[in-house]
Amino acid sequence: MPSPSDLDALQRRVLGLSPEPAARLDSPYWISNEAYGALRHVLHDVGGQPDAPVPYVDKEEEDWELRTYVLCEVLAWRGVWNAEVRRRRENDLGATLYLGLPYYARWLSVAAKTLLDKGLISVDELAAKIDAVRARKEAGS
Amino acid sequence: MSRFEIGDRVTVREATTLFHHRTQAYTRGRTGVVVEHRPEWLIPEHEAWQLEDGRVEPFYVVRFHQRDLWPDYTGLELDTLETEVAEGWLDPAGEVTQ
Amino acid sequence: MSHDHDHAHHAPIEAADEVSEFDVLETAIRELAIEKGLFSREDHRRFTEWAERIGPHGGARMVARAWLDPEFKRRLLADGTETSKEVGINWLDPTGTGTPSDNTYFYVLENTPAVHNVIVCTLCSCYPRPVLGQAPEWYKTPHYRRRVVRWPREVLAEFGLHVPLDVEVRVHDSNQKSRFMVLPMRPEGTEGWTEDQLAAIVTRDTMIGVALPRAGWTGDRSPAATPRA
Repeated sequence: MPSPSDLDALQRRVLGLSPEPAARLDSPYWISNEAYGALRHVLHDVGGQPDAPVPYVDKEEEDWELRTYVLCEVLAWRGVWNAEVRRRRENDLGATLYLGLPYYARWLSVAAKTLLDKGLISVDELAAKIDAVRARKEAGS
Repeated sequence: MSRFEIGDRVTVREATTLFHHRTQAYTRGRTGVVVEHRPEWLIPEHEAWQLEDGRVEPFYVVRFHQRDLWPDYTGLELDTLETEVAEGWLDPAGEVTQ
Repeated sequence: MSHDHDHAHHAPIEAADEVSEFDVLETAIRELAIEKGLFSREDHRRFTEWAERIGPHGGARMVARAWLDPEFKRRLLADGTETSKEVGINWLDPTGTGTPSDNTYFYVLENTPAVHNVIVCTLCSCYPRPVLGQAPEWYKTPHYRRRVVRWPREVLAEFGLHVPLDVEVRVHDSNQKSRFMVLPMRPEGTEGWTEDQLAAIVTRDTMIGVALPRAGWTGDRSPAATPRA
C-alpha cells in the first residue's frame, strides 16, 4: 500500500498524463464566434473558473521583487503610467506569459514594454543596459 | 447625481467587453441589491488607456446571493458576495438596455 | 502540519545560485528611468522607505483598539481612511496623494455572529497595503482568485476555518478602487488584555478573512477554529 506521499506523487503523475491534443493552436484559417469569444476573454477575469485545491504556500519577498514594486509605483507617481494601465498591459501579455511568469515578473515585463511603447527608452538601449548590468552583477558588484 | 439608491435591485448588463474591463463575467446578467454608494471615479476602461479626461461615474457596492451567481453553488443559501460596479454597467432589475 | 511554524518566513521556493534575469531587468529599467529623468533616486528612496515600513502591525493595531474602544470602532467602520490616521497610517503617504496601486478608499468589514467576511481580488491582487503590508503569495495566485468567490467554504476549510451553518459567508471581490480589511470578532480568553497583547494575536490572515484570531496564537495559518468556538 503506497504511503500518503507516494500516493500523492502517483496521483499527480496520473493527472499530468494527457493524450496528444487533437488540434494544436497554430494560426487556424477560421474559428467560430464561440472560439473567438474564448480567445477574447480578458485574461484576468478568472473568478469562478474550476481549479483543484493546492497548498496555500507563502514565500519570502525577494529583493528584486520589492524593487520591482517600488519601480512600478514610482513610475506611476511621476505620471509615466498608472496602476490600471499596468493591469491592462499585464492582460495584454497573453496567456502564456501571464500564467508563465511569476507575479512580479509580470509587473517588470510590462514596465519595460510601456517605456518602450511610449518612446521613453529604445529597445537597443534597454538590451545594452541589460547586458551591462548582468556583466556587472555577475562580476559581483 | 447617483441613479441608484441603497436597496435598489440592479442587474449587471450583458455588454461586449474586450481587451480590458473590471466587470467580472460571473456578474453579467446577474441581479443583486445596492448596499452602499461609493464616490465617483474614472472608469477603468478609460483609466487603463490613461484617458485623463475620461468618463467619471458613480460606483456602487452590489450584494448578490451566491445561489444566484453560480448554477451549482455548493455553499449555503445565506451566503453572499459583494463587489463594486460602475453605474454605466447597471440596469434597474427587470429593465434591460441594449 | 506543525501548528507553531510561522509560514511567513519560508525560504524562497526555488533557491537560485545564478544572478536572476529579473534582478538584472529591474536594475536596467530603473537605471535607464533615472538617466532619462522619469523619476529621481530620491523618489525611489522615499517610496522604498515607506514600502519597508508597512506591515500587518498597522491593521492589527486598529483591530485591537476597536476591540477595546467602541467609539474608535464606530469611527473605523464609518470612515476607514480617516480613522487610520489615529494609528499613524495616512493613506495619502508617501506621495501626498496615495499610492498608485492602493488608492485612498479604505473600508473595514466587521465580522459578527451572523456574518463572516473574506476578501479577494479576482481580477488582480488588490490589497490594503498601507494597513497590511504586502499581500501573501497565495492571495495573488489565479488559484485563490478563481476559487474563493465560488467555493468560499471549501477554500476556508482548506485554511482550517470551518464557518458554522448559521453564519453567512460574505465574499468581497475587491475589483475597483476600494480596499478592504476584515475586523474579526474578539476571541474568548482575552479578558483584561492590553491593546498590545490583543494586537499580537491579530495576524494578517485574520484580516483577510481566512483565519480567526485565538488567544495564544500569533502565527498565520492558525489551526481550525469556528466563529463561536
